[in-house]
Amino acid sequence: MIYLDSAATSFQKPHSVETAMTQALREMSSPGRGGYPAAVKAADTALECRSEVQELFHVETPEQVVFTMNATHGLNLAIKSLVPPGGHAVISGYEHNAVTRPLAALGAEITVAEIPLFQPEKAPGAFAAAITPETDAVICNHVSNVFGFAQPMEQIAAVCRERNVPLIVDASQSGGILPLDLQNLGAAFIAMPGHKGLYGPQGTGILVCGKDVETKTLLEGGTGSLSRDQQMPDFLPDRLEAGTHNMPGIAGLLAGIRFVRSQGMAQICLEERKLAALAAEGLRTIPQIQVFAKNDLFAQTGVLSFVCKKMDAERVGEELGKRGIAVRTGLHCAPLAHKSAGTLETGTIRASFSAFNTKNEIIQFVETTAQIVSGNIE
Amino acid sequence: MKKYLMIARSVTHAQRMELALSRIGIRPQVFHAPLELTAGHGCAYAVQVRESDFQVALKAVYGAGANPVAIFLTDGTQFQEVRV
Repeated sequence: MIYLDSAATSFQKPHSVETAMTQALREMSSPGRGGYPAAVKAADTALECRSEVQELFHVETPEQVVFTMNATHGLNLAIKSLVPPGGHAVISGYEHNAVTRPLAALGAEITVAEIPLFQPEKAPGAFAAAITPETDAVICNHVSNVFGFAQPMEQIAAVCRERNVPLIVDASQSGGILPLDLQNLGAAFIAMPGHKGLYGPQGTGILVCGKDVETKTLLEGGTGSLSRDQQMPDFLPDRLEAGTHNMPGIAGLLAGIRFVRSQGMAQICLEERKLAALAAEGLRTIPQIQVFAKNDLFAQTGVLSFVCKKMDAERVGEELGKRGIAVRTGLHCAPLAHKSAGTLETGTIRASFSAFNTKNEIIQFVETTAQIVSGNIE
Repeated sequence: MKKYLMIARSVTHAQRMELALSRIGIRPQVFHAPLELTAGHGCAYAVQVRESDFQVALKAVYGAGANPVAIFLTDGTQFQEVRV
């Protein structure tokens, strides 16, 4: 299989991830639940993982690194900590349902900062215009999961700091790919999955919390601390980590992060961008195909969408799947992004890349797509 | 021999103290704190250092921003809270 759906999850993992998970199953119990070797080993692994994240995202202390189930879990914690029921949020026009659905559940008033696709220079002004004195939070994805469109997060954060509005960064598509500095941004939260650009297993995620940011719990339960109190601890990470930890997942995530750091985040990103550019160049030569890409290697990451004018996106995806090429089709859980780009009625076909893809795979993907679209299919 | 117990509110807090101490060559013992040292809250961790290491250990954990929530001096049988 040629796997081009890494924006959903990076299915191909380093071997070290599998090894670490197996080792965790054999050797680790639950962190913070005892002083015996299996509990200590679990606690040490959890701290090592928090410390790697702390360094990668320039966080003050490892306590500010909270383990979650996925990015959606982290975003729910962040949004529900900052936006009260009926509150006001400003979001970009490229947000995922992981942002818009929690806001809808809160009955929040949402203002969309309108930013044309691949025009990041318009973002700071759009956010500045959308923020009001009543705004409870700005929520913005660093990279669109549909178009790979990278937002200028430092400039958006500067607007938020100037207007004194907390910022939540959805780093679902950028964690492990583009640099993010919590302290420089002054962000309240950065949420990300562990199983995409950080190459951990599914079921892992990270919520990085700003220093002294007040948090609200989604779950209450055992934390191994202050056990007589019936309120959740008021300190991190315990406050947001009720229940037994996913130690095989955390051990795998630690191995995944170490893989990213050993390869170099910038190098991984550059290679993915080259693959996206190669795919865009090839797809553009196919009649009837419209590619959403700018002729600028740095305008987007390794996520590329396209549509076929004479064939439904789902059909193209299905035909590619039959030929051993895995892509994602449809709305990618981000109808707002499609509305912003004008593809809400058609959806798109999305190819997304990881450190494990090769140039030859991209060439084969383009050739196969051309055969399918031309009707020259066996 | 007397020892000092620096109380941490969570395992992560205790690990940060342990790390700060290991950086200056002190290898503390870390264990679940006796319930009577948890101010009625239950479940905390104790980071134990020798009396002779206490002052430098305290400076190291404060320097790392991992301030103990309480400190006790013990002879192995009784605990005496220490104010610093």
